[in-house]
Amino acid sequence: MRTMRNRRKIETQMERQNRHKAMESVAVLDKLKNDFSKPLEAMNYFYDLFERVYCKRESLHDRSVKVGTLCIQVPYEIIYALDAVPVRLCNGFHTDDEIGSDFAPSKACPLVKATVGQFSSGNFVDRPDLVVSPTTCDQKSKAGAIIESMGYPIYDMEFPRTKESEESREYWRRSVRKFTKDLSKELGVKLTRSKLKKTIRRIGYAQYLYHRLNTLRKSDNPPILGVDMFLVTNAFFFDRLESWIEAVERLVEECAAKTEEESATYQNSPRIVYTGSPPIFPNLKIPLLIEQSDGLIVADETCSSNRMFNDMISVDEWFLYDMVDSISDKYLKGCTCPIFTKNSDRIRRIINLVKEYHAEGVVYQAFAGCQVYEMEQRSVLSAMEKEGIPILYLESDYSPSHLGQLTTRIEAFIESLKNRRRKKACAISQE
Amino acid sequence: MNRIRDAINRIDLRKFRFWIQLFFFVLFVYGAYFAIDLGRELPIFSCGYNRETGGTCYFLALQHQLARPWDRLFSTASIGVLTGFLTFLAWFIIFNKAWCGYACPLGTLQDWITSFRKMLKIPYGTYSQSQYKALKKIKYIFLFIVIVFPLLLGIGLLDGEWRGAFCKMCPGRLITPLFTGDVSQWTIDFSTNTAIFLTTFGLGFTVLFFVGSFIKKRFFCFFCPMSAMHYIFSDWALLKLRKDGEKCTKCGDCYNVCDMQIKDIADDVTSKNILRDDCIFCMKCVAACPEEDALHVDILNMKVFTSTKGGFTKRMGMDKPNKDENDEK
Repeated sequence: MRTMRNRRKIETQMERQNRHKAMESVAVLDKLKNDFSKPLEAMNYFYDLFERVYCKRESLHDRSVKVGTLCIQVPYEIIYALDAVPVRLCNGFHTDDEIGSDFAPSKACPLVKATVGQFSSGNFVDRPDLVVSPTTCDQKSKAGAIIESMGYPIYDMEFPRTKESEESREYWRRSVRKFTKDLSKELGVKLTRSKLKKTIRRIGYAQYLYHRLNTLRKSDNPPILGVDMFLVTNAFFFDRLESWIEAVERLVEECAAKTEEESATYQNSPRIVYTGSPPIFPNLKIPLLIEQSDGLIVADETCSSNRMFNDMISVDEWFLYDMVDSISDKYLKGCTCPIFTKNSDRIRRIINLVKEYHAEGVVYQAFAGCQVYEMEQRSVLSAMEKEGIPILYLESDYSPSHLGQLTTRIEAFIESLKNRRRKKACAISQE
Repeated sequence: MNRIRDAINRIDLRKFRFWIQLFFFVLFVYGAYFAIDLGRELPIFSCGYNRETGGTCYFLALQHQLARPWDRLFSTASIGVLTGFLTFLAWFIIFNKAWCGYACPLGTLQDWITSFRKMLKIPYGTYSQSQYKALKKIKYIFLFIVIVFPLLLGIGLLDGEWRGAFCKMCPGRLITPLFTGDVSQWTIDFSTNTAIFLTTFGLGFTVLFFVGSFIKKRFFCFFCPMSAMHYIFSDWALLKLRKDGEKCTKCGDCYNVCDMQIKDIADDVTSKNILRDDCIFCMKCVAACPEEDALHVDILNMKVFTSTKGGFTKRMGMDKPNKDENDEK
């Protein structure tokens, strides 16, 4: 009896968390791999990557210094140029969300709770040596302090909440210059002109690849699913830059060939622009529901995808002084984050995406507890109404419940888009 | 056709500008050596005090012509003034403000001084928004001196020593002759108090020109009355700088490279014609814009140079992996 008990292995808390997280990952990856027809060969790299990191818990950067980032405003170019690796720690796991619930109000944003939760469990594949927290939204700013109290070194990077004024531009430029100096000191690495130039171009090339993929999505025969795109951009959070670039190069090639093929894969699916709170692996719930209901996400306006890649850096004089300032402008000026006072840029972006990608409707998701997205909802909805663009507003969180209700609403929305299409076709044929 | 258009949009603007500017610099500073004379109505600071000039700044002639007595100015004897003005307009209308960014010898010289600064790896200076707003008005004061002072001279309200007042203050009078070895302008005229004031101002302004343009890109152009004059007629010009606000993400890339710090280029998403009074039409903004067709240069309504992602990434060296390894010297 006694020997029996000793032999049975008791699962530690961390092992249990990891088992749950692996289960969450596998569930999503299985859907991505099996639920859709004509999968892309090049996507296998990404399916494998997520399985390796989140199920097998393989480390990708065990020899490098890792700088954890909590928002997209932390300049990747500077971190790479200082021989460190940026790892974005915005988290999408329900398991971590539940752990984090002990540290934040129950109505807080699930993304913030999950991020805090992961820090509290200390359960990292690639543990960050330093965490940079830009002061973007209230919840993230405060999360930085909570994470610090858990014993992690946190660097608060001051970020302005308006972006139109010259003062805010200068303020943010100073913030970035200071960050560059401090990080360089902390890591004991000197920032050189050639290194920074190289990383600017390297990341620029990654963005260029992303834009090439997007251009293909504009065609009548979009070659790639929105959920796959989210997986690709999510991988940029933590993957080795070189491998990511190679994988996306292959993906672009395959997609370009597929677009030229005559048989359209998703021709009858209503084209959708996705906006709002960021889907982060494995919380791809809403994009998956959309595409399982025969919608097709052709473009998005979220910080886990488009907003990370959209704006590119232009440098006039390739010296440190101009490069660092140009980098800071990129992370502030074009950003369409809802934390800013005004949101006209975000609305213009969504409308532009709808036009350029010939989308037929917009799905706006806000995490329950994400105040800024919830507050912008009305203005975006009325702007879309004015433009005659159908829009569906959804509130969701990381929990696996409510799926039925969400499915019903999404299916109804997509059905209505199909009806609109039919009516339009009728009207044209009658003329 | 599409291939040609694509090649134009991918052009290396820096090199393109350098060669055109060099060509025009030689043309306007040394033109007389090649027996070239493009007249006295050019919309650039190609100074007539330089005897070898290939064409003269319109302000020299204009000040001279406007200074005649009013009864003669408004008679048929002054048809020449009118035709002179029309010639000026004709020149201007073709290239719009691109005269500043591509042809003006003073402008080119400032760009060379900027290149020199870059060789020394010294960062450039910028104005704050409030300084900028104050300084940009100065060029209208100079334009007032160019046009109204000669008129006052004509009715006798000002003395003859104010003749060609702006030319005496202008750095172009001192700088352009230098290139043909003429230093005779580098003097202070002690004949009258007014002359002392004007020529001292000119000398001081010239020193400021060199110091200023070393620190600030296109320092002098903020104060240039020709730039102000251009702006008055720029709506009629054939070459246009246009913006499609819908496609603009306000990322500020254009503003970042703008030598003249024109904020509207990034922030104004409603006006179609985005040419502002300070603009020198260098087209750096179009070259630095990563959005397809957001900024473009049109002749009439045809896009001749437009912003494209392909062009942008090529110019920034982002269109190929490991581009640095080949071009890093």
